Amino acid sequence: MRIAAYGQEATIADRLDSGVAALLVDDVRMACINAGIVTIDVIPAAQSFVVVHSNKDSASVQLLLADLLTNRRNDNLTSSFGNTVEIPVRYDGADLDEVARACGMSVDRVVDLHSNTTYTVEFCGFAPGFAYLHGLPEQLHLPRRASPRARVPAGSVAIAATYSAIYPGESPGGWHLIGTTSLRVWDTGRTPPALLQPGTTVRLVNIS
Amino acid sequence: MTLRIERAGITTVQDHGRSGWAHLGVPTSGAADKASCALANRLVGNTPHSAAFETSGGLVITALHDFNVVVTGADCDAFVDAEPIRRCVVTTVHTGQRVRIDRIREGVFSYLSVSGGLDGPRVLDSQSHDTLSRIIPLALSEGVEIRLGIPHDATTSLDIAVSPRRTDHILLQPGPSTELLSPAAQADISKHSWVVSPMSNRVGIRLTTSSLLVNVPAELPSVPLIRGAVQLTPAGELVIMAADHPTTGGYPIIGVVDSDDVDGLVQLPAHSRVTTTWNVEK
Repeated sequence: MRIAAYGQEATIADRLDSGVAALLVDDVRMACINAGIVTIDVIPAAQSFVVVHSNKDSASVQLLLADLLTNRRNDNLTSSFGNTVEIPVRYDGADLDEVARACGMSVDRVVDLHSNTTYTVEFCGFAPGFAYLHGLPEQLHLPRRASPRARVPAGSVAIAATYSAIYPGESPGGWHLIGTTSLRVWDTGRTPPALLQPGTTVRLVNIS
Repeated sequence: MTLRIERAGITTVQDHGRSGWAHLGVPTSGAADKASCALANRLVGNTPHSAAFETSGGLVITALHDFNVVVTGADCDAFVDAEPIRRCVVTTVHTGQRVRIDRIREGVFSYLSVSGGLDGPRVLDSQSHDTLSRIIPLALSEGVEIRLGIPHDATTSLDIAVSPRRTDHILLQPGPSTELLSPAAQADISKHSWVVSPMSNRVGIRLTTSSLLVNVPAELPSVPLIRGAVQLTPAGELVIMAADHPTTGGYPIIGVVDSDDVDGLVQLPAHSRVTTTWNVEK
């Protein structure tokens, strides 16, 4: 774990265990409020999170985070306290056969492994509402496609590296497409707009 | 109060952006040169958060009522009908008159602010056009009519135009991956002269150079990005995160540039030269 200034108006905590950052952001927000530090964003990523603050005093934020992280280290952070979302998935992705071949297993086995897993949203990035789902079984870890698609439809259920994800809107993308969902994971007319937020527990229900 | 778009040119609507949503993957967006946009709003009597036009030229609007306008940011050829208007001087436009920003003379983005500010739909609390996520609350095209907010009489004009900050030299503060650079590689970055790539845009300013010593991993676990974060790409380019930057990224962040310097960097035309020094103090 390291805590450092990230320019004058942001502070980073990195070298955290995977998945921990998402579980800390609410506590970080609360601790900042209690300390009178105005935060603009608290952003989790893979093994780090960043506090963007309106003052240029990173030193005081660093102290606060050091205190918080030391206290929280003894707590059990693996238990998620986000809400749980169930997502119906039709396993009809364009890359499903290829994924099965690359992983050396049957398509049924891929579907089985992928859907019988509990995921947690580690962080969002790439596009609004694009959630990196932690928990993909190791047998399904594959590098991204050699050449990304120019157009991936919204609702595509995909895997790449150690993550699974659902494309919230149509975009280019280099992940392997294994299924689709009709559930809208991103809707700016809804509060909050993202169905999958850092810390959310996700269950995929096979409706093929 | 209303105006009509006759021609949009290379123009977007920008305000202070949609901060507070980065944890859901939403870029902050907002004016690329924050200081110039805030100045335009200040001069025409708007709140600093009001929405204005950010243009790189080709914008033509018609006044459907009388209102005040002001132009700031990059020096440009701007007119009310045939009459040139000077930057930072508030000008009253009468019903039926046309305001044009033809061509940028020096810089990249000019700001046209209208008394009362541009009114219109908001997405996640902001009217800003996010070019990365394609969040476009108000698409500008010929014939679109835009309502204005309630104008404030307290306008200010300046005798001498305030030009955008000149940033041909940037100070690199340490970033999350600075220590992955050997002292020789750090020195190498500041020894090189960098050139603004034509690929630069509202998402990021790309600086290129030749024969850089690159010795950092090509990709790391994603970290949150902030405006001013400086990525070193595997191709040996520096990318400085600007208004529409993505919220997370996997390239090493070798430094951070101050927010004020980002205002200046976005105004550098392609092929401008930039030098860097390390701020070793902390």
